[in-house]
Amino acid sequence: MLKIENIDQEDHVILQLSGEIDASNSVDLDAAIQDILEKGTKRILVDGSQLEYISSAGLGVFMSYLEEFQEKDIQIVIFGLLEKVHQVFVILGLDKLITIKSTEQDALEAML
Amino acid sequence: MFKLFSPNIGKVTFLIAILAWLALVFVDITRIFGLMNQIESGVAPEVSYILQVAFFIMVYLFYNYSITKNERNEFLNLIWRGASTGLLALAISLLIRGFYGLLGDSRLANDPLMRNFFYHVNFALTSLFLISCTLLWKRLILYQKTKKVVQQWQAFEILLSISMFFVFFNQNTLDYSFLFGLVFIFVFSISLSINLKWIPYLTFKEKWKSILFFSIILVSASYLFLQVLSYSDADQIPVNLTDNLLLIGLFVFIFIYSLFSFLVTLFNLPTSSVFEQKLTEAINFQRLSQSIKPGENENQVLDILIDSSMSASYADAGWLETFNEEGQLGVLQYRFIDKSILKQIQNVLLQSTSYPQAPTQKREEDSKSIPIKINHPVYKSALVTPLYINQKLLGRLILAKEVKDGFNKEMVNIISTFVGQACISVENYRLLNEAIKNERYKEELEIAQRVQESLLPEKLHHDECFEISGFSAAADEVGGDYYETKQLDEHTFALIIGDVSGKGTSAAFNMSQMKGVFHSLVQTHPNPKDFMVLANNALSECLEKNHFITTSYYLINTVRKSVTYSRAGHCPTLFHNHQKQETEYLSIDGMGLGILRNQLYKNYVHEKTFHFKEGDVMVVITDGIVEAKDDHGVEFGYERLRKVAHQNVHLSSQEIQDKIIKEVYKFIGKNTIADDDYSLLVVKFK
Repeated sequence: MLKIENIDQEDHVILQLSGEIDASNSVDLDAAIQDILEKGTKRILVDGSQLEYISSAGLGVFMSYLEEFQEKDIQIVIFGLLEKVHQVFVILGLDKLITIKSTEQDALEAML
Repeated sequence: MFKLFSPNIGKVTFLIAILAWLALVFVDITRIFGLMNQIESGVAPEVSYILQVAFFIMVYLFYNYSITKNERNEFLNLIWRGASTGLLALAISLLIRGFYGLLGDSRLANDPLMRNFFYHVNFALTSLFLISCTLLWKRLILYQKTKKVVQQWQAFEILLSISMFFVFFNQNTLDYSFLFGLVFIFVFSISLSINLKWIPYLTFKEKWKSILFFSIILVSASYLFLQVLSYSDADQIPVNLTDNLLLIGLFVFIFIYSLFSFLVTLFNLPTSSVFEQKLTEAINFQRLSQSIKPGENENQVLDILIDSSMSASYADAGWLETFNEEGQLGVLQYRFIDKSILKQIQNVLLQSTSYPQAPTQKREEDSKSIPIKINHPVYKSALVTPLYINQKLLGRLILAKEVKDGFNKEMVNIISTFVGQACISVENYRLLNEAIKNERYKEELEIAQRVQESLLPEKLHHDECFEISGFSAAADEVGGDYYETKQLDEHTFALIIGDVSGKGTSAAFNMSQMKGVFHSLVQTHPNPKDFMVLANNALSECLEKNHFITTSYYLINTVRKSVTYSRAGHCPTLFHNHQKQETEYLSIDGMGLGILRNQLYKNYVHEKTFHFKEGDVMVVITDGIVEAKDDHGVEFGYERLRKVAHQNVHLSSQEIQDKIIKEVYKFIGKNTIADDDYSLLVVKFK
């Protein structure tokens, strides 16, 4: 079960993820990111506070956009991850490539 | 010897029959000579009777053989055989009569020898006709036989054989005992003659033909009978052969059965079309229910459906409208109607209140046929039957007639049945196709499974300084976990464990790539960090952009008693220090392979070395183990694993592994299906 919500803010988009991301619904996440990119947004905040689990397929979605984010100079910050989900990012080493903050405030500041 | 004799029963019996007949003629001629020359020939009439019986038996055997042998025993064929024999006997008898008519009152006409010879010819032909007919009728009577009928027939045959020998008692005279026997045969014949089950199976045309044949038989039989009666009073015949109880009895039987058949066939003529119709319906039903073979089109069933429905309801026009994939109604099959009229009727039907609207959910009454009155210059009534497959409306069958209220209840019932059967056939066909497709996938998965099983090592390399055990279970048929060892030199061992992102077949493919990378790189004995960097370079070229592989690589040196390792995004390794009695996860940073696909990757991967002592234990896992969930969605987790391992470090590597696996399965419970691949390597140092 995964719920994805896009919240447009003044100068950034908040991608709110709740539930679990696994192989079956990772395509939904992919589609959501694709949508945001088409809108030409340069700053993406991922609200992961409701995210309970992310599988390797879900991580693969974030990973596959890293290059594109860099090329198009798009900033992405994930915030509010539960400890065990955060751990998954850390173990894989994704935290080195994607900024992960604990609060929305920290995340907004990190983007400046 | 036996072989020489047996194959030609037909010819042998025929020959003996002719010989018996010739002997009969000869004996009589001898008698007449005796009479004419006033000499007692001394030939008793019994000689003739014996020859007569022999003749009967041989003719019986001959026909019995030839009818059984003949494969083409259709009813009409059988009747025609009887009729043709009758015609032959009749024709020859008439020829003889005509011949005598031509002779007039000449001396030759009164010649007893010739008269006697012709008498024998008539006798022989009459016998042939009667006996052959009896055997043919036997076939007809015993069609769809019951035990009772068979017994009845057997009794009749016994009765006939007795009557054959009756001649020795009454010398072929028409006395009371003769009449008594005849009555017996008469009663039997009537009771046998009600077995006429073959008649309904004749088509209308065949019935007409059989009526014709039966009249021929009746005429022939009557004529021959009258002729036989005329011989009773004739004085030129020394021994009367024809006033025989068997012959007369057979006359009675043949005549009665033919008469019954004739009448019943005649009265069956008007209903014959109904029976044929029912038979066609049954055949159509069977054609509909035969499942379509894979590769064929389901349109074939719909084709049969509309043809059978139209013939069953005598409809003047009909068509099938079906919904295509976009949900639009299209006309698939139409018969005896052109498209413009079809459109008109469609419009008329749509205005009708009883016309079934496309429902979203199937209800019981939705699948019923609905007769509708229509207001059209040509067509006055229509029958609309919806086709449902798997609760979904597939389309509608519409039949139209030029008469009002043209569809009666029987027709509605049979059309509903046809439609139901056709729908089942189409549904079966679809299910079958799906099953075949699944079967193919399954087979391919089995192949993948076999390949993958061969990818996991059969043996794990080690020496006397450590023991090692490995375990792997895949959630799907194929998995993405991988581990392997390699002995680099006498004291150096490489150990790798990997986990490919995603699950199932795609993961299994990537895993086999990882194995290839491992075996290529391990040749050069790289350090763990170099291994990771090179592997990342290689995999960056071949992994899809949203796939990555996590792995840990260890070099175990049993001389230096050291382990040098690197971690690439893989879950941390558990290490038990025997001296300190501590079990902790080794901490080292490292990014998964395929995440950063450029030269910067080397900045994100590291290498560490530790020394081991006797009793130390290393537990290497994939994330499936720590992420295994119980019924409530709680993960097994790193801490639980650490505790289980810690409690069991005193055991052998195999036992530690078994304990951990047992705990994991106990934790997730029996009802939960493993949703990830589990792999585990336990190294115990000695």
